[in-house]
Amino acid sequence: MAKETLGEFEHHVLLATRRLGPGAYSAAIVEELEEVTGRDVAPAAVYIALRRLEDGGLARSDLRAPPEGGRDRRYFEPTPAGLTLMGESRRRFEALWQGLPAGGGER
Amino acid sequence: MSLPPRLLRRLLAGRIPRVDREWVLRDLDDLYAGRSARLGRRSANRWYLRQVGSFWLRVQAHRLRSGAATLTDPRLLSEMLSMDTLIMDLRYALRRLARTPGFTLVAILSLALGIGANTAMFSLVNTVLLKEQPFTDRHELVEVYTSEADGFPHATSSVPDYLDLREEVDVFGAVVAARTFLARYDRGDRPELAFGELVSWDYFQMLGIPLTLGRSFRPDEDATPGVGQVVILGYGTWLSEFGADPGVLGETVTLNGYPFTVVGVAGEEFTGSIPVLSTGFFAPLTMTNELMGGLGTNQYDRRGSRSLFMKARLAEGVTLDQANQALGAFSRGLEERWPETNELRYMTAIPVSEVSLHPFVDRILVPVAGLLLAVVGIVLLIACANLASFLLARAEDRQKEIAVRLALGSGRGRLVRQLLVETVLLASLGGVAGLLLARWTLDLLLSFQPPLPISLSLAVELDGTVLAFTAAVSVVAGVVFGLAPALQATRPELTPALKNELGRVGKAGRFTLRNSLVVIQVAFSFLLLIGAGLFIRSLQKAQAIDPGFDTSPAAMVWPMPELAGYESWDEVVAYFRTLRDRLLADPQVDAVTLASRLPLGSEFQTNSYVIPGHPSPTPDGDWDLDDTTVMPGYFESMGIEVVRGRAFRAEDLEGERVVVVSQAFVDRFYPGEDPLGRTISYPGSTDPFRIVGVARDTKVRSLGEAPRPYVYHTPWPGFIPGMQVVVRGPAQAPELLAVTRRVMDEVDPDMVVFSAKTMDEHLALMLFPPRMAAFLLGVFGGLALLLSGVGIYGVVSHAVARRTREMGIRLSLGATARDVVMMAVGGGMRLVAVGAVTGMALAGAVTWLISGYLYGISSTDVATFLAIPLLLTGVALVAALVPARRAARVDPVRALKSE
Repeated sequence: MAKETLGEFEHHVLLATRRLGPGAYSAAIVEELEEVTGRDVAPAAVYIALRRLEDGGLARSDLRAPPEGGRDRRYFEPTPAGLTLMGESRRRFEALWQGLPAGGGER
Repeated sequence: MSLPPRLLRRLLAGRIPRVDREWVLRDLDDLYAGRSARLGRRSANRWYLRQVGSFWLRVQAHRLRSGAATLTDPRLLSEMLSMDTLIMDLRYALRRLARTPGFTLVAILSLALGIGANTAMFSLVNTVLLKEQPFTDRHELVEVYTSEADGFPHATSSVPDYLDLREEVDVFGAVVAARTFLARYDRGDRPELAFGELVSWDYFQMLGIPLTLGRSFRPDEDATPGVGQVVILGYGTWLSEFGADPGVLGETVTLNGYPFTVVGVAGEEFTGSIPVLSTGFFAPLTMTNELMGGLGTNQYDRRGSRSLFMKARLAEGVTLDQANQALGAFSRGLEERWPETNELRYMTAIPVSEVSLHPFVDRILVPVAGLLLAVVGIVLLIACANLASFLLARAEDRQKEIAVRLALGSGRGRLVRQLLVETVLLASLGGVAGLLLARWTLDLLLSFQPPLPISLSLAVELDGTVLAFTAAVSVVAGVVFGLAPALQATRPELTPALKNELGRVGKAGRFTLRNSLVVIQVAFSFLLLIGAGLFIRSLQKAQAIDPGFDTSPAAMVWPMPELAGYESWDEVVAYFRTLRDRLLADPQVDAVTLASRLPLGSEFQTNSYVIPGHPSPTPDGDWDLDDTTVMPGYFESMGIEVVRGRAFRAEDLEGERVVVVSQAFVDRFYPGEDPLGRTISYPGSTDPFRIVGVARDTKVRSLGEAPRPYVYHTPWPGFIPGMQVVVRGPAQAPELLAVTRRVMDEVDPDMVVFSAKTMDEHLALMLFPPRMAAFLLGVFGGLALLLSGVGIYGVVSHAVARRTREMGIRLSLGATARDVVMMAVGGGMRLVAVGAVTGMALAGAVTWLISGYLYGISSTDVATFLAIPLLLTGVALVAALVPARRAARVDPVRALKSE
C-alpha cells in the first residue's frame, strides 16, 4: 500500500520511533509522545498507528530482548519508504513556514 | 515492578488481536508500572481500566476502516447486538426484582451474608498467607535458615555467620538479613515501646522494596557497630507520628536514648519483613547492641546469638539445589571452625514463594485457614441453596408467562439467558452488600486482638485480589444456582401450563429439586452446628482445666529496666528490690513474686540440659527443657505446691546453685527414684545444679498440653534477667493493677512497661484460640441455621399457597384445621429429618479433622451429637409452623372458588 501523506498522529508516532532509535517499543513511544507533546496519549492509538504504519510498509518491527534483559519486546523503526515520506513531510512544512515569524503562529 | 491486577489484564487481553496480544500487554505492563510508581496504584488501576474500552473502540474502528470488518459483519454485529439485548435483559430483570421487593431483599440479604463471610475470611487468609511482599524478581529469592542442634531446620542465624556467608559463598548475588527489636521510643512525656527491625544496609535495594521518601542505607552506615545512627521510618509511623510530613527527612527520633536521623520512609506496600506485624522503624544491623538494650550483653558479635532472618538472591544460573549444596558445605566449614557454637547447625535455602510467614508457622496456619474457608464456603452454599429455592418457586409461579412466550416463538436459550441475567444480577447485588458486610465483619474480627503486649497490625484490606474473589464467587453463585431453575422453568410442557394445571397437586414432601435443596441446607447446617457445639464444649472444658497454679485475682506487670536507661545489673537488681519492698509496704498488697517467665505466658524459654545417665536421642545428647528463673517465695505466692523436698529459700540466692523441678520432670527422668540431691547442668558447664525440690505440674505453654518437664532456677548472684512481677492482695484485680502501676510510677516514672495485666487477662491469652473457634463456629453455625430456617419457611409457605384449593376441599370434607396444619408441617419436617440424618452421617465422617483443636472432648462428643438435632428440629418446627398455620385459616368456599 503506497501512501502519499501521513496522518498527523501516525507522523508523530513515526517521529517518536526515530527519536528513540533502537529503544523504540510501544510503551517508550507512548511516554516519549506524552513527554514531548505534554498530552495524554492513548496506548491503543499508538498501537493502531504502529499497525497501520507496518501494514503500509512505512515501519518495520522485530521481537528481541531488551538490552537490560527480561522478556522480548517488539521494537519498531521506520523503513526507507517511511524515512522518505517523513523527509517529504518535513520539507513541505518547512516550505509552508517560510517567511512566517518563528513561533508566531502557535496557539 | 508492580503489575496490573490480573483480572483487568485478562479483560484487556480479550480486546487486543491475538497476534499482537503478548507484546502489547507487556508494553502496557511497563506503562502501568511507570504510572503506578508516579501516581500510585489506584490511579494506575483506573488508567488501565480505561485502556480496556479504549482498545475495544479503536481496534473495532480500525477493523471497520481497514475493511477487515464491515458494519454488517456478523461478529461485530452480534457483539453489539448482544450488548443491546443484555441491557434489555438487565432492565427487565431490575423491573421484576423491584416488583417483589420482599423476595429481592431476602435473597440479597442471604447472599450478602454468605458472600460477606467468604470475603471477610478470604481477605484474612489473603493478608496472612497469600499476599506477596513487594520484592522484585521473587523467583530468584530464597529464605536462608540455620538448623537448631536438635534438628529443627528453620531457625534463625547469627550476625557473624551472616557476615561470613556474605563473604564466602558465591552462589548468591546478595544476602540480606533482618531481626526485630523492641526499643524505648522517647516522645512526649512518657516513653513508649517501639517495634522495629535491624536490617543489613542493602536490605531495601536488594529486595527492591520501594521507598516513599528519601534513601535506603549506605554501606558506611552499616560498617562499624554503633556508628550508623540513621533510621528509615515505617510508612505507618510516618503517617501516625509525623502526619505524613514530606519534610521529615533529616529529623531526629530518639530510640533507647540514642538520636537517629531519619533518612527515608518505607513504601506503603511494605509493612515489614513479618507480614502480620507492622514495623515502625528500620535501623542498620550494626546498631543491634544500642537498640536491643542488652545491658552489655553483646548480641551483634556473638556467633551463638541467633536472631537473624536471612534472604538471598540466587546468582545468575544457580539452581536451588546448587545453592543448598553450597550452604551445606559452608555450614560444615563453620562447624569445623567454631564447634562450640556451630555444631550441628546447617543452613538451608527455601524459595520465598514457598514461605508465607515461616515454614513452621505455615504448617499450623494453612490447615486452620483451610478449615475456616471450608466453613464459610458451606455458609455460602446454604445461602445459594436458598437463592435457587426461591428462584424455583418463582419460576413455578411464572410458568404460565414463560409458556406463553415459548408458544409465541421465544427461543428457549433466550429465556434461559434472561432468567440467568436476573440471578446474576441478584448475586451481584448480594456481592456488593456482602462486601460492605465483609468490611464490617473484618473490623469486628480484628477488634478481637489476641491479648498480646504488642498489638498485631493486620493491615487487612479489601484489595484487588479480594474484589476479584468476591466478583468471581458472586457470578459463579448466580450462574450455577440460577441455571437449574432456569432450565426447569423453560421446560416446554406448554399445554398443562397454559391451562393453569401445573403443580397444583405438588406436595411439600415430594422429592423435587427444591426439596433436595432444603435437605442439603439442613445437612450442612447440621454439620456446622455440630462443629460449633464441639468448639463450645471444648471451650467449657478448657476453662475448667486446672492450670496447676492459683488463678485468683492478681496483677501482673512486666517492666523493662534494660530499655529504660539502666546501665548495670546492680541498678536493675536495685530497681526490682525497691519495687518489691514498696509494693509490700502497701496495705492493699499481700504478696509480691518475681519470675522471668510465668506459666501460660506468651514468652517462650528453653535451655539445653545435660541429665547424667539420660542422654537425649538428639545428636548432641542434650535435652531442650522449658525453664524459668524465680525469686524465693514464688511457689508460695503462685500457689504451686512443692510435693517433695523444699521450695527456694533466701540463701539459695548465694552459694550452691539449686533447682526445683516439676513432677513431670521426675516422671520422665527418674521414675520411681528419689530425685532429691541429683544434679543436672548446662552443656559444657562445670557448675551443676542440685535438685532440692519437686513442684506439682503446672501448664507451661498451653492449656491442652501434657505435663511438661520444667526447671525452676534462682537468679545468678547479682544478675536478674527480665522479670515479671505478680502482685496479690485482698482487692479486686483492676484495683490491684492500679496500685501496682502507682507504686511503679513512684519508683521510676520513666520505666518502660512491656505489659500490665490482670490474672484474668493473662489466662485469656491461652483461652483465645478456643474462644475464637467457638465464637466463629457459633456465628457461622447460627447463620447457617437461620438461612436454613428461611429455606424451610419458604418451602412450606409456598406449598401451602399452592395447595390452597386442596386444603379447601379437605376442610369442606371434614378435616380439622389441626389436620391441615399437621399435613403442611409434616411435609416440611420430613425434609428436615432426611437432612438431619445426612448431616449426622456427614458430621460423624469429618469431625475428626478438628479433633486436634479440641480440649478434653472427643470429636464424636455424645452431648453435642444429642443436643444439636434437638436445636435444629426446634428451629425447623418453628420455621414450618408459621406458614403452615395459614393453611388452617383457609376459607373452604373461597378456596374452591379461587380458580
